[in-house]
Amino acid sequence: MMKSSVYGLLLLLVLMLPPAADFLESIMITHMHMQMPLLVISGIFMAKFFQNRFTGFFSKWNENGVPGILLFSIILVYWSLPRTMDEALTLTSVEVFKFISLPFLGGVPLRDSWPKLSSFWKHALIIFFTILFLALGWLYIWSPVQLCNNYLVIEQITLGWGFISTAFAMVIYLIYSYFMDFSKYE
Amino acid sequence: METVIKQTGKTQAFKDKANKVMGISLEDAKITKSYLSVAFLAILLGGILGLLQGLNRAGMLELPAWLNYYQVLTAHGLLLVVVLSAFFTIGYFYAGLSHTLGGLLPKVRKMAWIGFWMKIFGFVLAVIPILMNEASVMYTFYPPMAASPIFYIGLVFIVLGVWMCAFGAFINVASWRKRNPGQHIPILSFFATGVFVLLFFGSIPVAIEVFTIIPWAFGWVETINVMVARTLFWAFGHTLVNIWYLTAVSAWYVIVPKIIGGRRWNDLLTRIVVIALVIMNITGGFHHQIIDPGISEPVKYMHVFMSLAIGFPSLMTAYAMFAVFERTARKKGGRGLIGWYKKLPWGDVRFLAPFIAMAAFIPAGAGGIVQSTNQLNQVVHNTMWIVGHFHLTLGMSVVMTFFGISYWLIPYVSKRMLTPQINKLGVIQTIIWTLGMIIMSGAMHWVGLLGSPRRTSYSTYFDNATALSWDPYLFFLAIGGTLLMIGVLMQVYAVFYLMFFAPKGNTEFPVADVEEDEAPTPRWTERWGLWIVCMIVLVGMAYVIPLVDFIVNAPPGSPPYKTW
Ligand code: HEM
Ligand SMILES: [Cu+2]
Repeated sequence: MMKSSVYGLLLLLVLMLPPAADFLESIMITHMHMQMPLLVISGIFMAKFFQNRFTGFFSKWNENGVPGILLFSIILVYWSLPRTMDEALTLTSVEVFKFISLPFLGGVPLRDSWPKLSSFWKHALIIFFTILFLALGWLYIWSPVQLCNNYLVIEQITLGWGFISTAFAMVIYLIYSYFMDFSKYE
Repeated sequence: METVIKQTGKTQAFKDKANKVMGISLEDAKITKSYLSVAFLAILLGGILGLLQGLNRAGMLELPAWLNYYQVLTAHGLLLVVVLSAFFTIGYFYAGLSHTLGGLLPKVRKMAWIGFWMKIFGFVLAVIPILMNEASVMYTFYPPMAASPIFYIGLVFIVLGVWMCAFGAFINVASWRKRNPGQHIPILSFFATGVFVLLFFGSIPVAIEVFTIIPWAFGWVETINVMVARTLFWAFGHTLVNIWYLTAVSAWYVIVPKIIGGRRWNDLLTRIVVIALVIMNITGGFHHQIIDPGISEPVKYMHVFMSLAIGFPSLMTAYAMFAVFERTARKKGGRGLIGWYKKLPWGDVRFLAPFIAMAAFIPAGAGGIVQSTNQLNQVVHNTMWIVGHFHLTLGMSVVMTFFGISYWLIPYVSKRMLTPQINKLGVIQTIIWTLGMIIMSGAMHWVGLLGSPRRTSYSTYFDNATALSWDPYLFFLAIGGTLLMIGVLMQVYAVFYLMFFAPKGNTEFPVADVEEDEAPTPRWTERWGLWIVCMIVLVGMAYVIPLVDFIVNAPPGSPPYKTW
């Protein structure tokens, strides 16, 4: 189990290497849809370490998983704003905050919360992100102005379609889990 | 009725058993027989056209004005890559679904028939303009070449017919799962599910493409975005290639071990191979566009990576197959580092044909990896090398597996038996086909490296020295093609003999069991919805960047051209 934490840490370190970070941040969509999810995933891998270290903390403060998932959602919403992405590229402090917040305040609570959540909350979360992604997709595609100083309008539109296609995949999943009653098959 | 059936009380279990003992129901058999008949008629016609092309390219035959090289080539491509492979795949998997799921549902049977006639109708519509020389656009029908609108309308019906069959399969699998809670879908039906998922999702892009072409072909809109059309085509075209491959692979994993008297490879890993191929497939399409302009370098680089990723499950397959062969042969007393191969049933066409098919996949796969690399692709792109490559992958790996299947599947559905004479005919056919393909595709590869272009009727380019130097190779191409034609005739004879004239009897549907000591396969392999979502996310990752670029930064579109 601790092995996965080491892999998570390694992934985080690789993502922090300047060539890797520069490459992923050079394209808007890979910045938001590749680097950021990978940071969250590194946190998911590392979560076991914290869960073992601070068992009491997690069971006390994240008993039913809802506080953790709220923290995760806030962090993710924060990083979906064009403004924050721009700042990460210009201000070192914000960049550092990105590499800390996404794994440790996003990935770790997600891993701790997900198994504790009832299926209502799980679906509510996916629905929330579907709506958010559709809205963001709309914003990025049809915004009349350039939203980021660092990225061109064409990149912005590409990212918008990236949001729409991710939302589409989530809709498919929701439809699938609405129509499939897994208890019937098990 | 046989007396060995124990009355279990449960009708389903009873039906399953009845199915095993008495063979396929007549109604289900009729579906498969019809699909396979069309498939093998397509290979007969397609083979004749292929021979015409081969003889023409060797400068030995001039085609008449009313049937020019490009008409023949369009029909050859369409007959073999669309008709043969779609009809065989559906006929084979519908028999597999019927056998492993205890018969097809009446509703599904109806869907299979509707799908059958839609495809036939669509095909007839597509062939008419080809014969009238109004649609010499090759089976890839890339804009800006424009065919008569009737051609594309025909394609729409073919796609709709395929979807009908895909949904029929989903309905049958879902109904079985409801009736058998907690059980894994039988492995052959698992493969079928994967294939039909790919058929459905893979043909969505081409459906979109065709719907944008039709108004353009009618002249209702003036221009079309060529890059978008090509990209949508290859998202489909590449997936189609892997659908045939996955169909052949299903026989390698499930059928061949049974025929050699062994057990199949690890169930979990087999299912992982299917899932991996389903998730990673569609994005491979870009390796057909390595030379295309308008795609930035980093995107092309990403796609090389995505293409080569598909190599991984393929390598797993190669390993698995040889592991099964060795294990089975050793159980039968085979000895030595390589001496065990003597224990395999080489004289049985049901083994020999798929075995050679697998062996052919080694050079074929290596060639594929070569072509996926940017620099090497520059050398071979649009040369005869490519034609050599897909006659090796398709004409050998896939089609020879189909041939091997036909020697038990057709007797199974027609309730007849494979006779020793037909088996012998099959072995000879296999040898002829192997020689023919090696000669033809070897010549194609070589002459391609020397620069001979594909899709070009015979020309010496005003007796240019380079072009003249291709002639000896093109002559070999014609020799290989002639051997193949003999092979086609033997194969088609065997198919229809087995379907209508062979002695009556019960033929088994050979599905291998897993090893006894194998750990149970985990539940998560059944989460098809999840695999489909992963697939869509991956497709999004691959296509969003280039498609947005093509559309937003589009050059002026192209009007339709008739280049012939
Ligand atoms: C009798 C056996 C066959 C012969 C003699 C033959 C020969 C040929 C020749 C000479 C070409 C044309 C090359 C060019 O000018 O570009 C060709 C193209 C092609 N063949 Fe075959 N072939 C045979 C069987 C098959 C089979 C079994 C398949 C697939 C299942 C197949 C699939 C194709 C495809 C897809 C093309 C490309 C069409 C295009 O470029 O639009 N062929 N074949
Ligand atoms: Cu391909």
